[in-house]
Amino acid sequence: MNSTLNREARPSPNVASEMGKMQAEPLLPIEKKLIGWSLGLGIVLLIVLVAIAKLVMPAP
Amino acid sequence: MNEGVKGISEDWLSLWIGLLVFVLALGVLAGADILGWVVTTSVWTDVTKSLGTGSKAFSGLGGIGALVATYVALLVVMSIGAAALKADVKRFALGFTAVFWLSYLCWIIGSWASFAANTPADMKKFGIGWSLKLTSEGGFIVALLAGLFVGNFMPRFAEWMKEAVRPELYVKTAIVILGGFLGVTAAEKLALATSVMFLGLAAIICAYLIFWSIVYYVARVWFGFSREWAAPLASGISICGVSAAIATGAAIRARPMVAIMVSSLVVVFAVVELLFLPFLAETFLWHEPLVSGAWMGLSVKTDGAAVASGAITEALVLGKASAQGVNYAKGWILGTSATVKVFIDIFIGVWAFVLAYIWTRHIEAKGTDKAKAREIWERFPKFIIGYVITFVVILLLALAASPATLGKVKAAMGEANAFRGIFFVLTFFTIGVMSNFRKLWEEGIGKLAAVYLVCLFGFIIWAGLLISFLFFGGVKPPLAG
Repeated sequence: MNSTLNREARPSPNVASEMGKMQAEPLLPIEKKLIGWSLGLGIVLLIVLVAIAKLVMPAP
Repeated sequence: MNEGVKGISEDWLSLWIGLLVFVLALGVLAGADILGWVVTTSVWTDVTKSLGTGSKAFSGLGGIGALVATYVALLVVMSIGAAALKADVKRFALGFTAVFWLSYLCWIIGSWASFAANTPADMKKFGIGWSLKLTSEGGFIVALLAGLFVGNFMPRFAEWMKEAVRPELYVKTAIVILGGFLGVTAAEKLALATSVMFLGLAAIICAYLIFWSIVYYVARVWFGFSREWAAPLASGISICGVSAAIATGAAIRARPMVAIMVSSLVVVFAVVELLFLPFLAETFLWHEPLVSGAWMGLSVKTDGAAVASGAITEALVLGKASAQGVNYAKGWILGTSATVKVFIDIFIGVWAFVLAYIWTRHIEAKGTDKAKAREIWERFPKFIIGYVITFVVILLLALAASPATLGKVKAAMGEANAFRGIFFVLTFFTIGVMSNFRKLWEEGIGKLAAVYLVCLFGFIIWAGLLISFLFFGGVKPPLAG
């Protein structure tokens, strides 16, 4: 991990102009796939892991 | 900092400093009380009795003597560390002096009984009829507020001490030391500790996948951010703040300014969370201590703020439970927050690699610029190695120890833990110093802040609470004693 919360972590003075220059980029199919798979896998794993936690190895 | 001259990273430095404290503390096992002079702070009504020494063997030193000894020792070690970082050592030493004394003054103020006493028995003991009930960790809140004051109203002073304003260095060092303390705690309830680790791992796997995808979608579709901005923003808001934003920015080859701006925002919002989530947990979750610990780990961004909020939450929740007649053992709430945070950190590199793979193969495929598996190691937070070492060493020692030796192990980790507290208070103060709300606002960071606000307070915090409940609901820490 890089040095993180350092003093360098200050915004340069052109944040607003960067926001203004930003161009619209429609979602690509690969992005939709990434979002869908990530969310779907997360929900499936949530159900499976909660089931394991409660049924197979409950906390003492 | 000397631009262009690169020393070791704060990550590695925190590992070495944490291990140094840990190894020296273990001297107790060999009959050598090497760190017994470390200063400790107690709740007080007479300020002259607020300070003490880590070991009775050094009580002749007195509280002030212990404080000076601790300052000198840390100044030497941290200045050597600053040299290893290739920082300006003279400026660091001056800045560290200010940071140390102001932070410790805050700790002493926060330990005043009228701020800290949190049970009727404590108030009776100190002869007071009213208290803010901030617990003995109240000094952390005072340090954070003092840091915010310096950062926002004394910009020249903040600039003067900036070489020593390194909250990530301080908190990572504290986490390495914390590993040993939690090792002792885990040894006493090994089955529960194993369960907490599994639950923590399970919780963060789900959180990573669910949080990131939703925040990325919101940033891209609702707020119209470009991919270059949306990915670091999603990682910063949903995973682990600054570290994740920087790792993601590098993974998708975003311009450095993107990660820097997102990081600035992360720090400010982490401070906001730190100031109110622990009190929400105390009010509504005091009967579910481990849920509250996991919630801090999942919801509060940046290592520093997350583990710090775990510490405050533990103090507040234990205090409230104690006032209701339930005395839980210390260490489990903070341990749960730290466990969740450590697992989150471990996976940052993996997630950055996944994103780098998708970006270089599918989104900005240039043929030559492919994601490399070794980047997982390069982005692996090295201080976690120290945390694992101290945890495992003490766990094994404690499990194999006779009752007499176990007492020595606890005494050793008690002394190391005093340093952990000092690094924590340095973390709180310096996080505050870094959080310049006015500057961010003046520089037009409003749209970024809007995404953060919507996602964090509209979704992440509550989804984090739900996931914490699903995994940790009904799991109680052992009772004290």
